[in-house]
Amino acid sequence: MTERNDENIQGQPETPAAAETPATAPAESTAPPAATPAPEGAPSRPQGGPPRREGGGFRSGGPRREGGPRREGGPGGGPGGRRPRKQYFRKRKVCRFCVERIDYIDYKKSDVLQSFVQDRGKVLPRRLTGTCSQHQRWLITAIKRARNIALLPFAQEL
Amino acid sequence: MDARTYDLIFICRPATPEEEVDKMIATLTHAAQEKGGTVEKTEKWGTRKLAYKVAKHREGIYVYLALHGTHGEMIHELERRLKVADVVIKYMTIRTDEELKRQRKLAGRRERRAARRPRKQAAPPAADQAPAEMGAAD
Repeated sequence: MTERNDENIQGQPETPAAAETPATAPAESTAPPAATPAPEGAPSRPQGGPPRREGGGFRSGGPRREGGPRREGGPGGGPGGRRPRKQYFRKRKVCRFCVERIDYIDYKKSDVLQSFVQDRGKVLPRRLTGTCSQHQRWLITAIKRARNIALLPFAQEL
Repeated sequence: MDARTYDLIFICRPATPEEEVDKMIATLTHAAQEKGGTVEKTEKWGTRKLAYKVAKHREGIYVYLALHGTHGEMIHELERRLKVADVVIKYMTIRTDEELKRQRKLAGRRERRAARRPRKQAAPPAADQAPAEMGAAD
């Protein structure tokens, strides 16, 4: 405590989270929940590491959820990065064609196909749309046919 | 040979007058009949925006024909005519009978499955009827 007060007088009134000297690191570690082992390595981990590794999982949960874990992971440091996986349950997606009992995906209904295509004209992957494998195969043929007759773009210029 | 069904879509230039489009449909219908096929359905979708430029046009008049034929020769003849026609900027023929067959098969299977389910539920009333009949016999 005395060491810390002396430093405050010498330097800035509020020391930033980054530890400049080894003496201050253990004293300050009690106040914020920042990770003690590697102060320099910890902040970079939640920003770069976990999103890349869990990217597939979070993205499939929806773009909105991507913001949540990142905000949580920032101050939490190392252990905070793992927590969101338990907290956020992905809603199980059901194949839209199976629900509506569709046996044939019509290439002429371009408005339906449009919802399974990105803005640029790429086919959306199954992990984003939740389409079952059989319907995805039918969907792809339908999209390709629609592209051939100019109902859907091959590549949309933006 | 099995009967085959086809979808034929062609796109005319946006400036094509209505009569020209009708004439094109009539020629194709006639050509299909000559080759032993029939036109089951004709739909004029009207002017639609194209997803990409075709022959420097941003939109086109879509015409859809559902055909019934026995062999591919009819399609050869129709596609030859479409290729030659000036008003047509794009066309596509698709064979649909196999997919329709699959669709019917799946629909039939589902119906059969649905029909099986109420039978299980209907079993208890059938059991109720049996003792009643027996009682009547006594």
